[in-house]
Amino acid sequence: MRQNHENTGRPLDRRRFLTTAALGGATIVGASALGGLDADAAFAEPMPSLDPAITKSAFAEGRITRIKGSVLEVAGSYGDQHLIQLTNVTSIWKLRPTTADAVKVGDGLYARGVDMPDGTIAADAVWVNIVNLYVTIRGIAKDRLHFTHGSHETVGHVVPDTTTASYLGGALTPDLSRVRIGQAAQILGAWRPADDAIDIARVTVGH
Amino acid sequence: MACGSTALWAGETTWFCCGSSWGPCGSAGTGACGTCQSNAHQAAWPNTSAACFSITRPDLCGETIVQRACGSVMNVKHQCSGASVCVTVSDCGPRTQSFCGEATCCNGSCRTNRVIDLTPAAFSAIGNLSSGKLPVYIYE
Repeated sequence: MRQNHENTGRPLDRRRFLTTAALGGATIVGASALGGLDADAAFAEPMPSLDPAITKSAFAEGRITRIKGSVLEVAGSYGDQHLIQLTNVTSIWKLRPTTADAVKVGDGLYARGVDMPDGTIAADAVWVNIVNLYVTIRGIAKDRLHFTHGSHETVGHVVPDTTTASYLGGALTPDLSRVRIGQAAQILGAWRPADDAIDIARVTVGH
Repeated sequence: MACGSTALWAGETTWFCCGSSWGPCGSAGTGACGTCQSNAHQAAWPNTSAACFSITRPDLCGETIVQRACGSVMNVKHQCSGASVCVTVSDCGPRTQSFCGEATCCNGSCRTNRVIDLTPAAFSAIGNLSSGKLPVYIYE
């Protein structure tokens, strides 16, 4: 995806656009133009998302230890440290597309962006607490599913107006009534650091 | 090992976590190859060994996927955008048999069956984690 810079008319690729945005000079465009789409939209209509001309994007993962303005300080799981710069075009996902206000210290994240000269990563997308687990359904209640991920038992909360299901690759539906105990399923959702449960964005039921 | 351009397979990719991580991924371990890390460009392949194949069973979905051992290198390309990422096989997966017939489409063209799993670092290099799955071509 390319944008035209309004001053020069030169094509503005994702790397240069993000760099400009991080420095505070970007013209605001929809974040989806850079690849950040919500789960349902991406599922319903998976569009090409990244500029193939960008051969190397930066990536970071870990837990947020501090939020200073628009910069997230992140402790990586291997002892590494990252500074994630949110810009006015950063797409933020936390169960659903959201804003920087929803991001909290203690959250986990995956971030994609561009390395900046000052050592930060200018993020085009940040996925907060996102998990995508292959599970076996162990219990079903009106407002939650119980499942195992490997040997780990987890509770997945059904979130009104958010949680959807797909049965054998079919269209998304808010109807979870066809979920059965013992079924294999893929749970896309947001981990809750406070109680180690998951808010479910989508459950894909298999055979 | 170089990232090649010889067509190997096509299908859906999903993503998974492994190695040291946060949340429920913290218990995922380093996978069948013992080297898997979420922050590296790595993949799970459904036929890294006979034991692996007996779990994933892609043949039950009509996918006679060839065996490629831990450490094999593959190039995974988004079917529509052309974005690609070079990955090293570091785990056994996905469980293809659990989702036989599932399709993921873009621009009116679909890929069927889960044939490879990517780490978050690899998946996010060619698409959005919130989509959960992508249609891809695989080269070696």
